[in-house]
Amino acid sequence: MSNSVISVISRFLEEYTTTTPNKLKVVDSYLFYILLTGALQFLYCLLVGTFPFNSFLSGFISCVGAFILGVCLRIQINPQNKGDFLSISPERAFADFLFAHTVLHLVVMNFIG
Amino acid sequence: MFEKSLLRLFGLFVLSLALAGAQALTPAHYLSLPDVARLQNLLSQQFTGLDSAYYSVVGLSKLGATIPDHEGVCQFLKSQLDPMSIDSLFFAAETSQAISGCEIPVSNETRDILLAAVSEDSTMTQIHRAVSALSSLGLPLASQEVVGALTGRINKEDNVMAITLALQTAARLSQQTELGGILEEIEDLTARLDDLGGIYLQFEEGLEATALFVTAAYSLSDHVDMEPPLKEDQVIQLVNSIFSKKSWDSLAEAFSVASAAAALSNNRFHVPVIVSALGPATVSHSQPTLQLLVTDVMSQPLALANVLVESAYSVASKSVILSHASFTLNDGVFELNFMSSRPASGYYQFAVAVTGDTRLVGNHVELKVKVSTEVVVNNMDLSVVDKDQSIGTKTTRVDYPSKGKSSFTADSHQNFAMAFQLVDVNTGVELTPHQTFVKLHNQKTGQEVVFVAEPDSKNLYKFELDIGERKSEFNSISGTYSLHLIVGDATLENPILWNVADVVLKFVDEEAPVAIQPKTLYVPKPEIQHLFREPEKKPPTVVSNTFTALILSPLLLLLILWLKLGANISNFSFTPSTILFHVGHAAMLGLMYVYWTHLNMFQTLKYLAIIGSVTFLAGNRMLAQIAVKRYVP
Repeated sequence: MSNSVISVISRFLEEYTTTTPNKLKVVDSYLFYILLTGALQFLYCLLVGTFPFNSFLSGFISCVGAFILGVCLRIQINPQNKGDFLSISPERAFADFLFAHTVLHLVVMNFIG
Repeated sequence: MFEKSLLRLFGLFVLSLALAGAQALTPAHYLSLPDVARLQNLLSQQFTGLDSAYYSVVGLSKLGATIPDHEGVCQFLKSQLDPMSIDSLFFAAETSQAISGCEIPVSNETRDILLAAVSEDSTMTQIHRAVSALSSLGLPLASQEVVGALTGRINKEDNVMAITLALQTAARLSQQTELGGILEEIEDLTARLDDLGGIYLQFEEGLEATALFVTAAYSLSDHVDMEPPLKEDQVIQLVNSIFSKKSWDSLAEAFSVASAAAALSNNRFHVPVIVSALGPATVSHSQPTLQLLVTDVMSQPLALANVLVESAYSVASKSVILSHASFTLNDGVFELNFMSSRPASGYYQFAVAVTGDTRLVGNHVELKVKVSTEVVVNNMDLSVVDKDQSIGTKTTRVDYPSKGKSSFTADSHQNFAMAFQLVDVNTGVELTPHQTFVKLHNQKTGQEVVFVAEPDSKNLYKFELDIGERKSEFNSISGTYSLHLIVGDATLENPILWNVADVVLKFVDEEAPVAIQPKTLYVPKPEIQHLFREPEKKPPTVVSNTFTALILSPLLLLLILWLKLGANISNFSFTPSTILFHVGHAAMLGLMYVYWTHLNMFQTLKYLAIIGSVTFLAGNRMLAQIAVKRYVP
C-alpha cells in the first residue's frame, strides 16, 4: 500500500519537474512559500494562544488570500489553459493579480492593529 | 333642513368650547408695598448728573413720593445746566416741573436752538427732548410742524423706541392738532409685542421699551381722549411683563417702571385691579372674616370700589354656599364674615368681582378659601375581645385628653379593639380627617408600629388589632406598648397626638428582645475597589521573537528556490514606464507600512489613489511593451 503511494508521489514529482514550464515553477515556489508562512502562523496560534486575535486573523487571511490570488495567476498564465482565457493575456492576469493584492493588503493592514 | 340644524349645533358646540377655554386672566405680578419701597429707594440715590436727577425726581413724583429739598435740587439743576445742549435743557426743564418753585432761565438763544431741533433731520430723541423742553419751559411751539417732523421721522426710524418717543411727544402738543396718524402707531406697536405663553406681553427690546410704550400710549390716549386699542387681556399681560422684575439694573429702567405704574393706576380708560387676601385665605371660628386687599398695580387702595362675591362653592361637594354677597370696607380692607354662612370645614372656591368703576380691568378673580375648625375625640372605647367568642370582655371608656388608668393585656388569642368618633367642636358634625393613625410604641426597644384607623359608613372610626396575625410587625416582642392616637388634616387647627393607654402584648415564640437599631441607611458604605480590566497575558518575548524569525525563514527558502530555478531579471528594460511602475509599486508597499504605523484609512485611500493611478498607467504601458515583445505572429 505504502509502496504504491511512494511510487505515485515519485512519478508525480518526476512528471512535474519535466513537464512544467519554468515560469509556472517560479509561481509554484512562491505559492509554496506562502503556504509555509501561513502554516507557521497557524502553528504559533495553536502553541502560544490567540492573544492579539485580530493580528493572527489578519496575518492568516493575508496568507490565504495571497495563496488564492497566486493560484488564480497560475491558472491564467498556464499556456495549457489558453483556450479558457482567450481575452486575458498573461500581462493582464498579472495586472489583475497586482490590483487584487493592493486591495488585500489594504484590508490586512487595516485589521492588523 | 337637517344639514342646517346640524351646522348650527356644531357652531354652538365650538362656541361653547371657546368660551369654556377662555379663562379670565388676572394679574400675576404687581408692585407690592415692599416693591414700591425698593423702587423709591433706587430712585432716591445721589445725583450724578442731570439725567440721573431727572430720572430720580420725576420717577419719585410719579410714584407719589415726596421729594426732599426742592431748593437743593433746583440749585443742582441750575448749576449743571448747559443752555446749548438740548439733552441738558430737557432734563433740567422736566425736573423743574416736578418740583415747586423752580424756574429755569431761558434766553432767546435757548429757544432758537430748541425750535431748530424740531425738524425731520433731527433724531427722534432730539425732537422729543426739544418739544418736551419747550413745553415745560412755557415756550410757544408750532404743533403742526412737530407732527410733520414726527411723521417724517417715524418713516426713517422704524423702531419701537423711536415710535414710543413720537407718541410721548405728541401728547405734549395742543389739543387741536390733528394727531390721527400718530395715534394709529399705538395699534402698530401693539401688533409688534411678543406673547409669551399667554401670560406675558413684551417687546423683544426689553422691559424698558415695554414700560415706556405703556406710559406713552396712555399719555397720548388721555390727551386725545380716545381709548387705546388694547384689549383687557393684553393690558393684564403687559402688567405681568412690566412688574415681574423686582430689581432694576439701571436708573432709566426703574424710571420706566415707575412711569408705567403711574400710567396704569391713573388713566382714563384701563385701571388693572389687584385683589389679594390679607394673610392666608383662611377662616375659622376664631377668625371668621375673610379680608381682602383691593388695590391698583402700585398697591394703592382704589378710591371707588365695591367688592362682592358672585358665588362661593365647596370644592368637595360643589354645593353653592354664597351667592352675591358684598364685602364691607373696613379701614382700607374689604371684609366678609364667611362663618356666618355656617360652612363646613374644607376648601371653597370664591368668584370675586370688583365693580364701581368702568375702567377696572381684570376685576373678576378666583380665590381659594380654606375653612378650618377644631376637632375633638368622642366616645373612645377600648376593649379586648376573645377571638373565638365574639363577646367583648370589657369595654373601657377613655376621655380625651386623659390616659386610661389601667393597662390592657392581650395575647395571640385575642383582638384588641378601639372605636371612637371625631367630631367638629363647633358644629358637632362628624369629621373624616386625612390622617388618623394608631401608633404602638414599645417603651423598652423603641420600636414603633403604626396602623391606620378607618371610618365606617356612619363615620364611626373602628380599629381592630389581631395580635396573632400581626405578630410579624411587632417582631413578636412582648412587652408594654404605649398606644397613641394621631389625628391631622390641613383644615384642622388642633392636630391630636394622644397617649390613650398602655397595652401589654404577649406573643408566643418570643425572640430575645433585641434593641432595634435604627436602620443604617445613612452611614458610609464599604468602599468598592474598582477592578480594572487585567491586560491579557502576553507570551514571553523570547517565544514571539523565535516565531517571528521562523516565519521570515520561508522567504529565504523562496529566494533559494527561485535562484535554483533560474528566475532572473535579465529582461529588465530601463524604459521610463518600467522604472516609474516599479517605483510606484514600491511606494504603494511603503504606503502600506506607513498606514500601519501612522495613518488612518481616509488618508491612506487618498495617497493610494494618487500613487495607484500613476502606477497603473505606468504598469499598463510597461505590460503592453512586454506583450508586444512577446508577440510572435
